[in-house]
Amino acid sequence: MTSSLLLLAQVTAAAAPEHASSGFTGQVQQIAGQFGIKGPLLLAQIVNFAIVAFLLWRFAFKPVMATITERQEKIAAGLKYAEEMKAKLNAAQQSSDAQIREAQVKGQQLIAEAQKSAKAFLEKQQQEAVEQSNALIGKARSAIELEKQKMLAEARTEIARLVVATTQRVLAKDLSDFERARYNESAAKELSNV
Amino acid sequence: MSAQSKKAQLLARQLFKLSLENGALAPERVTGALAYLEQHRPANPLLVLRAYQRLVAIELARSAAVVEHAGSIADTVLQSLAGSFSARYHRPITATAVANPALIAGLRVRVGDDLYEASIAGQLAALAAAV
Repeated sequence: MTSSLLLLAQVTAAAAPEHASSGFTGQVQQIAGQFGIKGPLLLAQIVNFAIVAFLLWRFAFKPVMATITERQEKIAAGLKYAEEMKAKLNAAQQSSDAQIREAQVKGQQLIAEAQKSAKAFLEKQQQEAVEQSNALIGKARSAIELEKQKMLAEARTEIARLVVATTQRVLAKDLSDFERARYNESAAKELSNV
Repeated sequence: MSAQSKKAQLLARQLFKLSLENGALAPERVTGALAYLEQHRPANPLLVLRAYQRLVAIELARSAAVVEHAGSIADTVLQSLAGSFSARYHRPITATAVANPALIAGLRVRVGDDLYEASIAGQLAALAAAV
């Protein structure tokens, strides 16, 4: 309505610029009459409109705006929180990645050390097994050699005993008294020259 | 060893020394020593006689060469052995023959604690021990 009044005033001013002071009021009243505009009614409508606008602003627009503002703040806070969470998540992700990489490195080191230890242990075990087997082989060889020497000695002794016994029997049977007497004489000479 | 035993040993040694003549045991002196003991009986005559007998037996063994032999052995061989052992030990040694067929052939002479072996059995034993 205000804009209509202003338009009306501009139209009027453009139509008769030379009758600016005295004739202007009459012309306004004439136009207002032609358009059916009455001052008190217009004033009442303006008051009503102000009241309605105030009520709308006070009880509708303002709470809605407050709600919108609150929601915008909440959304902004949520977005900010989300950004923070995203940053934290990224940081945590980076930290976890670093920890994982560190754990992987440590794990690889542990595996390498374990493999190294296992290899050294295996080599040590193999070396000990070889030494033990060599010792056992040496002992077995010594035992075999001893047994062989023992058997040879026993065989030699037995053979010597058999030879001596056989010789004794043969000589005791076959030597004549004359041969014994001659042997006795030679033995006496031997004993005399000792 | 008791005091009586020591005295008996001492008396036996004294009697044994008196029984020697030129380093050899003389039968007359032995008879005289026994007669002395019979006339002058010591406190324990049995101990004295045993000690004296042991000393005489040792001396007889030292002055006797026991010649073990297999087969016959001539007297000349025995005399020659007695002479050689007397010269070796610087005392008169008599040779006594004892037959021992286990020797097969050869001689084994024992003078006191010394043993001399020249027999086939001894050589075979040495061979068996060496092998």
